[in-house]
Amino acid sequence: MPPRIRLRPCALRLRNAAPLSNPLCASYASLAPATATTPAPAIDPTRAAAPILRYPPTQPPSHKPPQVRKTQLHRTYQSVLKSSPLILLFQHNNVKAVEWMSIRRELATALRKLDAERAKNGYEGLIGDQIKFQVITTSIFASALRVVEFFKPEENTMDHVQHPTDPQTATSAQIPQTSNSPEDEAFKHGLSRRAWEVASNRKLKSELEPLLSGPLAILTFPDVSPQYLKTVLSIVAPSPPNFPAPKRKANPSYFEPEVQSGLQKLMLLGARVEGKVFDSEGTKWVGGIDGGIDGLRAQLVHMLQGVGGQLTGALEGASKSLYLTVEGRRMDMEDKEKGDKPAE
Amino acid sequence: MITRFLTDVRVRFNPFSPRAKPARVFLSLIPPNARADGMKVETKVLPRTSTEPATLDVKFKDGKELKLELDKMRIPEVMEEVDRHSRLLARKEELTGN
Repeated sequence: MPPRIRLRPCALRLRNAAPLSNPLCASYASLAPATATTPAPAIDPTRAAAPILRYPPTQPPSHKPPQVRKTQLHRTYQSVLKSSPLILLFQHNNVKAVEWMSIRRELATALRKLDAERAKNGYEGLIGDQIKFQVITTSIFASALRVVEFFKPEENTMDHVQHPTDPQTATSAQIPQTSNSPEDEAFKHGLSRRAWEVASNRKLKSELEPLLSGPLAILTFPDVSPQYLKTVLSIVAPSPPNFPAPKRKANPSYFEPEVQSGLQKLMLLGARVEGKVFDSEGTKWVGGIDGGIDGLRAQLVHMLQGVGGQLTGALEGASKSLYLTVEGRRMDMEDKEKGDKPAE
Repeated sequence: MITRFLTDVRVRFNPFSPRAKPARVFLSLIPPNARADGMKVETKVLPRTSTEPATLDVKFKDGKELKLELDKMRIPEVMEEVDRHSRLLARKEELTGN
């Protein structure tokens, strides 16, 4: 058996490995096992580097450690905020797990019923199963909201990557080099350091900020649909004239004690509709739009038709009256002529 | 916070005002079973434009009423105010041996 040679781990490292300014960065950079085992070589500005991506394309280096739950929650909330144009905000005061479960069940059955009805009437865009009611971590949600509202990167997140895996890319291709460190200015994703810097500017105030304290839950819609909003409001925050709760005979499970006691502890605070903030009254107004977007279109068409009719009437009026007077005069003269003739 | 001796809680607040925080936190301090055990909780969410101060009305088991303006207070102060009478009631209950 040949003698074992002990290798010091530092001898394996490349000599010109990029010096890390902050020792903590090492843990940030250890996103992918590939990059963790072979550290990226230093980028020499004078020489063209091969078009190699130094991090997995789906995991660009982030400002905070990516393996932490907080970071992932932050990312999730950003995507929720970006993908749902209608969000209802609720405060939940010690709602028990059983009560959550039964409220979600009632919501799901009501939405399924609405979906079936819409499918029968030939509507498209059934979003009933994508409407979610979830409890959020308020502070992380507030931070994610700031990133979504104030951080507007000019280009797509992955534009700078430039297809390093594409075989057509020449090995001598010049690509804007992005290093594997979060300090790089080229990163424009929501967890990047630049996003964090922009969002931590306390001078920027978002409208929703005062709402974001205490225990919160959000109800997210993938589309602004007043019909779905109406159904959801009548289940979760019923108010008699416009959003009545389902009748006891039609839906006895809604009146189970778990559902009712859970609903007592939920408070509708406000809503975020396509970036604008509404209070509970405003939310009810949105939910009260009859027939949704189609209803609005029909109203608009009706209104425009009415305007057109009035306009033509007004324009016609002058010429019509002129015609009538002239015609009257002609009749009058003819009558006179007729009257004169028999007199002769 | 001692909530055993509260029978009636009324809260009015405008969630869009930053001063509504103590009112909302107070509501979240009420235990999950309180409503089932006979406490009445009424919350009124004011519209966004209202400038009314956030108020809290509490009734105790012995009939004492407490009205607090939550605008200038912080949640520890609110708890202190409410607990002051609750502690008295707890002491009385203990002495009568119930």
